[in-house]
Amino acid sequence: MSEGSETNKLSTLLLTTLLIPGVLLGLTYGLHPDIGEGTLIRFANSMLTSFTMISFLLLLTLFVYGDARKRPVAPFIGMLLCGLFGVAMSIFFLSQGDLLMEENGSVRAQALTNIIRFSTTVIACAIAAMLVLGMLFASLMHTPPARLEFEEE
Amino acid sequence: MDEYLQAFLLFWLAGLAVIVGLMLGFFSKQSAIRRFGMVLMVLGTLSILATPWTLSFSPSSAFGHFLGSILGPSVLLGVGIYNIAFSGHVPVGRLTEGDRRAGFGMVLIAVLWFEGMHWWVLTPTYPDEINRYWLIFWPTLLLVTASGSFVVRYIVKTVGDERNQEQRLLLTLFALTALLVVLGLMRNGPNVDATQFAQEFWLAGADVFGLMVGAAFAILLFALVLTIYESQQPLPKQLDPPTTQQLQEAAKHIAKHVGGVSEDE
Repeated sequence: MSEGSETNKLSTLLLTTLLIPGVLLGLTYGLHPDIGEGTLIRFANSMLTSFTMISFLLLLTLFVYGDARKRPVAPFIGMLLCGLFGVAMSIFFLSQGDLLMEENGSVRAQALTNIIRFSTTVIACAIAAMLVLGMLFASLMHTPPARLEFEEE
Repeated sequence: MDEYLQAFLLFWLAGLAVIVGLMLGFFSKQSAIRRFGMVLMVLGTLSILATPWTLSFSPSSAFGHFLGSILGPSVLLGVGIYNIAFSGHVPVGRLTEGDRRAGFGMVLIAVLWFEGMHWWVLTPTYPDEINRYWLIFWPTLLLVTASGSFVVRYIVKTVGDERNQEQRLLLTLFALTALLVVLGLMRNGPNVDATQFAQEFWLAGADVFGLMVGAAFAILLFALVLTIYESQQPLPKQLDPPTTQQLQEAAKHIAKHVGGVSEDE
């Protein structure tokens, strides 16, 4: 297959990924135009928390990588710095007054709220993935095995 | 015990135990460590689930209550899908027709249970108001299921060969979840009205997009860190080219095993 058609397929996949959330959120805004307060704050908090948490999770996977590569220290330190950078960014932005603060009294309370909210979103995504992929897998398993038909010699 | 210390031990340390246990359970090569990881994960989960009783003074306990509320339908959904999938054409350990029917029943009950949490009196309430994590969870689940089923249908259509049944199934799932979203946006439930659902659905969109962007940045940096490290490694020792004698020896072996089929075979 040509490289151009592969790129086309990837860009269509990316568009498809954005299409449905875009349509559903557009419909939501169309039906309830008075919503939307705090969207940017929520997005920024989610992004910073996701970056920090996933950096630390990837840091843990480096232990597995270390088994295969004689336990190198450099990538471990690099990823630790990424995670710490995320923590520092979160604390910095949260301490800038109302920039990222929601209905919490302190930076620590807001950071802890962000982590619990991130966990809730991850759980919802995991159950959605289980539902979609589980149904697909179940359907595939119920398809009768394909028969090979040989041409008569 | 100090309330902060109690919350740290029974909630945050338990949460850390769940994550570390999960990683050890899935990635460790030694079975003893894998078992230890699973035990750690179960203990951590139980500790978080018990927080409405052990940490009733802390706002974090609402998360434990939320987890307890969705545990039933989630387990039913998982076990139901497992039963349906493994009663199909699997070569080993195929489940019975009864298991398959039970699986369908479990999935149906799980879906009705989740629906009852939005459209009936089953909405998780803690301590005397709707659990705020349920208000985040339900719109996120609908949004990700609708988007995910549509994207996976596109992938199946592009990659699969004659997978019409799978495409129809995924399209049905997409239509069903999109319908639930539209109903939620237009009609009030007994506990959650349409405006509140719309607000939460909009913010769920912000959460999901934020999660995707943050995760993409983290993964890109991870790849960058590993690429830099690997590029700095010395090249492995190069072997000398084979000698004429070694080449002749190899040619002899190849000729012995890759020759044409003789007539008497």
